[in-house]
Amino acid sequence: MEKPFILHMLTTAKNLSPFDVNMALDAGWVSALPYINVEASEVQGLVQDAIFSRSAKNLKRTGIFIGGRDTKQAMDMLKTARRSMVPPFEVSVFADPSGAFTTAAGMVASAEHELITKFDTTLEGKTILALGGTGPVGQAAAVIAAQAGAKVIIIGRQLEKAQHVADMCNNEFGDGKITILAGADADKAEYIKTADVVFATGAAGIELLSAELIALAPQLKVAADVNAVPPSGIAGVDAFHNGTPIQGSNSNAVGIGALAIGNVKYHTQNSLLKKMISSDKPVYLHFEHAFEVAREYMATRR
Amino acid sequence: MEKRSILHMLDPMPNNSPFDINMAMDAGFDVLMPYSNVKLDSVNRLTQDAIFSRSPAGIKRTGLFIGGRDLELVMDMLDACKQAMVPPFEVSVFADPSGAFTTAAALVACVEQALKTHHGKELKDCRVLVFGGTGPVGIATGIIASLAGADTALVDHLLLDSALDVAKAFNRRFGCTLKGECARTEEDKAALIADVDIIFCAAKAGVQVLSSAVLKAAQHLKVVGDVNAVPPLGIEGIKRSDLGAPLVNAINSPGAVAVGALAVGDVKYQLQHEMLNFMLSTDKPVYLDFREAFNKARDILIQKK
Repeated sequence: MEKPFILHMLTTAKNLSPFDVNMALDAGWVSALPYINVEASEVQGLVQDAIFSRSAKNLKRTGIFIGGRDTKQAMDMLKTARRSMVPPFEVSVFADPSGAFTTAAGMVASAEHELITKFDTTLEGKTILALGGTGPVGQAAAVIAAQAGAKVIIIGRQLEKAQHVADMCNNEFGDGKITILAGADADKAEYIKTADVVFATGAAGIELLSAELIALAPQLKVAADVNAVPPSGIAGVDAFHNGTPIQGSNSNAVGIGALAIGNVKYHTQNSLLKKMISSDKPVYLHFEHAFEVAREYMATRR
Repeated sequence: MEKRSILHMLDPMPNNSPFDINMAMDAGFDVLMPYSNVKLDSVNRLTQDAIFSRSPAGIKRTGLFIGGRDLELVMDMLDACKQAMVPPFEVSVFADPSGAFTTAAALVACVEQALKTHHGKELKDCRVLVFGGTGPVGIATGIIASLAGADTALVDHLLLDSALDVAKAFNRRFGCTLKGECARTEEDKAALIADVDIIFCAAKAGVQVLSSAVLKAAQHLKVVGDVNAVPPLGIEGIKRSDLGAPLVNAINSPGAVAVGALAVGDVKYQLQHEMLNFMLSTDKPVYLDFREAFNKARDILIQKK
């Protein structure tokens, strides 16, 4: 008899996200078991417990998911998990803290799709503002876009914190090969003059970009907002917008709302959870893989 | 429709062990429910909640599993479970903290078999050392070996008092005769192993406890058993799949043989699987700990012959 698919779900938080649990079960994992308040030092023990209790064949039906809220912690845990494998005792691991990696991938791939289909251009060389970009989704989106060749500026209320996050993204997630900059929210009016793309990834219910600033943006092409709770993060972009022209934009910019991004995110997370099951060799998945999948998905729509 | 089988997995630790989860799922339980940070005084209530919510027929499809790392606490919890049963509302309970009971049972049974096959001896004829002797697997290994009649000492790598305290506590509880030793340095280890017959290595994964240089000191070594599957292995020169292979590094103990972690793991795996299965197939509720585990491990090895 075939052994059931088991996904061990690790989180640094005190509960798993029900979102991730639903996603895992719907992707085909038969059993999803929670491990909560997990500390970095416990990852090796948990991983080795998981790998040594099934035969190499059945380890293909075993996986580890890393949740939590902190992106760096999740990436560190992913690295630790990978190092803890003892081939052929090895399983796939997927890190998606707060769903941030797949959400960011969905947002960047959607924005890229609009650039290609409506503006006949790509992310390469574009100036992108990540507004409220110091959180998990903003960080991952900044890194993904920078790796795709964009010039990304993380904008935060406190410049010092934004700078710290940008440095962390460059060094930890970009291996020093990308240069994300930081800017202060107070200087938005200046930054918006050169912005091609805007990501709004702040807390729900805070307007990060006003109608006045949108009107002032001479080359804005795409504005994407992950906030599904009114008021929206970008004036004039609602949750249902999907490449919809933004009223009041003087550069014919289009908006992408939370539900459009959510659809790509859903597909991306589902695909990666399935990839863990279908892959012949163990895979270690994070934001880069999420972006690959999200990009492929958007390409099928063109 | 037959009710789905449920295993309630009680653990005093912040999380269950993924090992136990995989094993329980693979043994055929349909649904696993983790209960973490469980305190001894909650066990009565949890047990009664589990037994009173299903009919006696449904109860046969219900089990309790006790994990953790602290063997005394786990045995207290097993006792608390037993006391909470109200026949015919009664379910099977299996204690296997960090898999320590089944690992230790498999380790001792494999070593016992190698001892018989290669040296014609019994555990009761032997002096035994357990390195990593104050961890869960080490303690359970020591208790099983001691109850089988071996002259057994638990070895701690830092403090003699730790080893002595553990030995005393479990001697009182299970009527075994464990001793305590400490080995901080290579010299300490060499002195300890000079005239023992059996060495169990139950130290942390990825830590080499006995080097070839230290093994030279052993004059009467007959069998070594190691449960560490993560390189470097616990004993230099051992291979993970060894099952009675010569331990050539013990140059002054010709005839010494080794049992490696994967050989032990094979038996442990089958053992834990059978114990979990037994909970589902048994007609009467059973209470399973290291004693039943060792009996079953011996049976498994006899069948394998």
